[in-house]
Amino acid sequence: MLLANIAQNLNLNPINEPSADVEVTSGYASDLLSDVLAKAKNGAIWATNQKHINIIGVAVMLNLAGVIIAGGIEPDENTVAKAREENIPLYITETSLFDVAGKLYELGLRST
Amino acid sequence: MRELSMHILDLAQNSIAAGASRLEIEVAADTNADRLVISLQDNGRGMAPDFVSRVKDPFVTTRTTRRVGLGIPMFDAAARACDGRLAIQSSPGKGTYLAATFKLSHIDRAPLGDIASTIVTIIAVNPDLHLRYTQRVDDKAFIFDTDELKTQLDGVPLNEGPVLKWIGEYVKQGTSEETEIN
Repeated sequence: MLLANIAQNLNLNPINEPSADVEVTSGYASDLLSDVLAKAKNGAIWATNQKHINIIGVAVMLNLAGVIIAGGIEPDENTVAKAREENIPLYITETSLFDVAGKLYELGLRST
Repeated sequence: MRELSMHILDLAQNSIAAGASRLEIEVAADTNADRLVISLQDNGRGMAPDFVSRVKDPFVTTRTTRRVGLGIPMFDAAARACDGRLAIQSSPGKGTYLAATFKLSHIDRAPLGDIASTIVTIIAVNPDLHLRYTQRVDDKAFIFDTDELKTQLDGVPLNEGPVLKWIGEYVKQGTSEETEIN
């Protein structure tokens, strides 16, 4: 599934979208960075309530397809700057983390 | 991380990687001040001031295998999430001191976790390290020091199975009563 489809389906607000023509192969939702590092797959889209620059570090390390900050939370300034620098697609949405995960699941994505 | 002891293990590995032969770890709870302080002091090669000022940034790392390091940034984020902060003092050639403060009762503060296993893991991998672990609750303290143990063991390596087992039980017992921190 393409990142563009997901962004459109979930009505995500792009903060950084170098390209939406990216294949998303799985999904993950967690606020525990160590858990994400251990369990999220390369190419996953990751939904979280964290807004710290460390989320971009995790995205780079795992080569994630993109990051969604859920629940109407605004990312820190340096998070946005680093997402741009590292070409990491970053979205925000008012939708809760629970609902974002549910919608990603409905679209057919799984965590494995 | 799910447990603060996992941060301690991660940061201890930083000290080892920095060539430390001595590492002092202290976990201290002050119930009146509602504060928890986790500190690590090593005698590793230390960091230059310029590096210290940037080390909370996950994109600053000495690693050569990948260009992102999350140990210190995640420890800093954990402290900040609990009304605390991470302080870092370091000087090249002398060593590094890290101290993270947390609001003890903060709802987002992770539990200390299995500190006995953490100590055992550090020793198992680094039997020659002089490790001193202190856990305090107010005026009560538990101290475990590998050098004190070594004088009693008379040459038996610390990473022998029965020795590690004893250390694990000793630390578990010692940190479970008056100095227990959850």
